[in-house]
Order: sequence, then structure tokens, then C-alpha cells
Amino acid sequence: MGLLNFTRDPVPEAVSGDMHNLNQLSAQQFSALTELLFRFLTEPKEVERFLTQLSDFATMNKISLGPLKNIVKSILLVPNGALKRNLSSEQVRADFIALGLSEEKASYFAEQWKVNSPTLTRLAVGQTLMINQLIDMEWKFGVTAGSSELEKVGSIFLQLKLVIKKGSQLENVYVELTLPQFYSFLHEMERVKTSLESFS
Amino acid sequence: MAALRDADFAALQILLKAPSKDAVRQLCQECFSSPPAALGPLAQRACPGLAVSAEEAEQLVTALHNLTRHVVYRGLTSAEDILCLFPEDFHQNLKNLLTKIILENISAWRNEAQASQISLPRLVDMDWRVDIKTSSDSIVRMAVPTCLLQLKIQEDAALCGNNPVVSALTVELSKETLDTMLEGLGRIRDQLSAVANK
Repeated sequence: MGLLNFTRDPVPEAVSGDMHNLNQLSAQQFSALTELLFRFLTEPKEVERFLTQLSDFATMNKISLGPLKNIVKSILLVPNGALKRNLSSEQVRADFIALGLSEEKASYFAEQWKVNSPTLTRLAVGQTLMINQLIDMEWKFGVTAGSSELEKVGSIFLQLKLVIKKGSQLENVYVELTLPQFYSFLHEMERVKTSLESFS
Repeated sequence: MAALRDADFAALQILLKAPSKDAVRQLCQECFSSPPAALGPLAQRACPGLAVSAEEAEQLVTALHNLTRHVVYRGLTSAEDILCLFPEDFHQNLKNLLTKIILENISAWRNEAQASQISLPRLVDMDWRVDIKTSSDSIVRMAVPTCLLQLKIQEDAALCGNNPVVSALTVELSKETLDTMLEGLGRIRDQLSAVANK
């Protein structure tokens, strides 16, 4: 086996056996399995659903679930590595062929990879570490009518509630701004937007 | 807010013993700015200058505090309104002097009252930085811009007295989050204009 694109580590021995088993599937079966896999990759939280669909596939095609799970594990190695390394569909195809998958099936999978990779890349970027990520912002503004020191006030206040993700917990931060501060804040945020856009 | 009583006005006449008009002015300012709890020590400091007993100094300081706070509370701005507060038999010159001093200070005092109002923690400063993320454990190569926003927030001034606690909160925003935030801020701006134009 030559150098693979999707990984630099040695591939588990079981993989070539799993590829051989995959080759035994009909084109239709392989296509159905591929669809299943990409649906899971694009919605990685839906583990239960994925396992159910896998089990249904196994039953419908008279394959034992255990070996099927191993095959799936082997297949997934490639898209996971490919995502990390921004591989092209040609590279994905080449890797599958190098692992022992038939050209026809490798091309098909690579094609599906091309179609799904923008979504998958976006997901991976979304998983990148963020420090104190701002999740939500709620606001209210009103007029201070009076206080214990001033019978009539009539000044405008703006209150923001920022919901921040600290580690795995959410924290609420409450801030009050005066009107000039609000306009200054808005102005600064618009400058940030311009800056972010120039780098996109 | 204690209403002004006759005893207060009686105590105010102690000011006639003050060494100068500036001393009266100074005392008025200190009495307004001092919270009720700090009036005792203030009275003790004022004692020697006025050559009065500790008890009399305390009555004076309390009366002056009540008078100045009352004027600010009611939002009185004209000389007539302030002069009306004093009883008929109050010393004429002292009454005029106090009214003059109060009018001089009224807007600064009003600002002071507003600044020390209770509120949620206040934003005191804001800084930002745009970073480009080039790599992570989930993707080896990328170029994703992200914004770090640092907000300096001061806890309620009334709770902290002279040592306001300022905390810095650094928050990260993706481009999408920023766009959503700007949408929200834009809506606030539109509503503010609508209110202002009514």
C-alpha cells in the first residue's frame, strides 16, 4: 500500500478485509449505504437514528450487523481524515482504491464526497474551539422615570443580556448602556463587520 | 427623602458662624455628596471651623444634606422656587447666599445623582480584535476570521462606594453571530429613532 492522503498513521489490518466485503455489495446496496453514511456525517448528533438505519439496512440486505458496523468503521476513516486535511475528491478516490475498494465504488463515493464536502467543512469549522462564545443576545430599552434621588428623570437606558458559553455551561451577563454608548457600540460593531468581511 | 422641618432651618442658621462664604459653599457641596451614613464624620470635621458643639454640627450637616438633596430631587431650577422653601423669619442674607450656592451647583449635583443611580452593571469600555483561525484539531488548514470582543463592565456604583469593581469579559463572535447581533442592534436603533420622533 502506497502513501495514503487521508492519514499518515498505519491503517488497521481489518480495513482491507472490510473493503473486500464492501466490494461484494451490489451497486444499489453500496449507494444506499453511502447515502446513510453521509446523512450521519452531515448530522453527527443523530447517532440513534444512524444506528437504527444501519440495523434496518443489515436486516433488509441479510447482512449481520456486527460485521457491517466494522465495515462502516473502516469506511468512515477516509472521510474523517479527508475532512481534516481538506482533500479533493480525486484524493479520496485514490485512497479508497489504494485500500482495496473497486474503482467503480471508489469513484461513486468520491463523487458523493464532492457533493457533501462544503456542508462537512462548515460543520468542522463550527466545531473549532471558541473561547466564551456569544450564543445569544437579548435586549430591552426604556426610560427611567424617577429615582430616590431625582423625582423626574426621563433618561433612556438600554439593557443587554448576553448569553455566553463558558466551557460547557451557559452564563448570562447583564450590561446597561447609555444612549451615546449604544451608538458608539453599534459603530464599532459595524467596523468589525467590515473587517471580517474583508478577510472572508 | 426626609421633608424639611423647622428644626432643619433652625440648624441652618448655624451657618452664620461660618468663617467665609467659600466655607459655606464648600460645606454645601460636601453635604450633598455625602451619603447619609457619612454625615457623622463630616460633622466632626466641620465642628472646629464653625466653633459649635458636636451635636449642633451634626444637626447642621444633616439639615444641609436634606436641603440640597430635596432641591435636586424636586428638580427646582429657579431662585423663586428655592427661596420659597425657607420660612418667613429666616435670615435674609443667608437665605440668598444658600440659594445662590444651590443654583450654582444644581446641574452638577443632578448629574452626580444620575451617575450614582442604581443600575445593572454598566459598560465602561469596549475593545475588539479580529483574528484569522488558520488551523485546529478538526481542520488542519483553514482561514476563518473571528472577532474577539472585550467588554469592561463596572458593577453597580452604589454597592462599591469608592472602589468600583471593573471586570473584563472577553467574548468570541463568529461572522454569523456578529451579523445577527448587528441585525438586533439595528432594530434597537430604528426603535429609538421612532421613539425620538414621536
